[in-house]
Amino acid sequence: MELSVLFVIAVALAFDYVNGFHDAANSIATVVSTRVLSPRIAVVWAAFFNFAAFVVFGEAVASTIANDVVVQDVLSIGVIFAGLVGAILWDLITFYLGLPTSSSHALVGGIAGAAVAKAGFDVLITSGLRKIGVFIVLSPLIGLAIGLLITIGISWAFHRYRNVERLNRGFRRGQLLSAAAFSLGHGANDAQKTMGVILALLIASGHAAADASVPLWVVLSAHTAIGLGTLTGGWRIVKTMGSKITRLQPVGGMAAESGAAITLFATSAAGIPVSTTHTITGAIVGVGAARRLSAVRWGVAGRVVWAWILTIPGSFAISWLTFHAVDLVS
Amino acid sequence: MDRRAIFFLGAAAVCLLLVPLSDGYAWVATATGIVYLLLSLGSWLDTRSRRRP
Repeated sequence: MELSVLFVIAVALAFDYVNGFHDAANSIATVVSTRVLSPRIAVVWAAFFNFAAFVVFGEAVASTIANDVVVQDVLSIGVIFAGLVGAILWDLITFYLGLPTSSSHALVGGIAGAAVAKAGFDVLITSGLRKIGVFIVLSPLIGLAIGLLITIGISWAFHRYRNVERLNRGFRRGQLLSAAAFSLGHGANDAQKTMGVILALLIASGHAAADASVPLWVVLSAHTAIGLGTLTGGWRIVKTMGSKITRLQPVGGMAAESGAAITLFATSAAGIPVSTTHTITGAIVGVGAARRLSAVRWGVAGRVVWAWILTIPGSFAISWLTFHAVDLVS
Repeated sequence: MDRRAIFFLGAAAVCLLLVPLSDGYAWVATATGIVYLLLSLGSWLDTRSRRRP
């Protein structure tokens, strides 16, 4: 395998590692804030289930990233490299600005921008991009509705129960399962995006057939990268997040994680790349809205809407410029 | 009408507006829109019943 291909694979895995590092807090924030697990154990718990996702889920999301964003003929090592650089730079800029953007949407915008820079707008697959665009909006709304319905269901089922102490103990145990399920969904949907990029790279460089499935070493390396990112990044992020996390009751944490996990399982099975950050944000808003609308921090929800609007055009523009810059230099 | 019902109604409108763009997944957008319509109705009835003397 050529050095340039190995280099771009390393960049893709670095993107995956940063994704795990960055999103770890989503998986464990609720179990830590409800003191079900200590931050250190919560991070190991999430990292394990991030990795284990490869056993449970297929490769439908990877296939969507590799085949349904731009036509395969336009994909080259340069296009994929520029796409990854655009996505990583966009993530760093928005991380600095405090915008809760999605790495997944940045990746889609990045690949599209680099491909358009090479061959024009005709290379975009509109049906694939439309599917991704529709679910940018739908996935947080689905997470919100499921989180809210679970909260209402639990309230109805247990409102006559008097032993609150025992009930909370039960929900704390339940939260271990819901956090594991969310980490499994996170690993499945997000690691597959990197798998899709590496598959596209292998096809573009002639190391795999156009209709090839994702090789096992790609599956294992992508899940290892996201798991390691969670393991190393999560601890640091949680330490600084401790005071910022809204204090959730175990029941709310369990409902939010379950709502987000169900959404991620369904979209991963259907091959739809969605934002895990936006999905869990939607589910937490749903839990808050079950009580009353003013219980929701609408500032966060508003910033997610801005992130929807800006991410794909932003990463598209950076990748477009990166491709031209690389083209000029080479 | 309470603010929560209006919010759910807005979410239902967004979901239903996405139906024509959803190709093979139109049923997902439709089902989510219907769930939000029902939530809006439920929220309105909940608020109304609480305001009754």
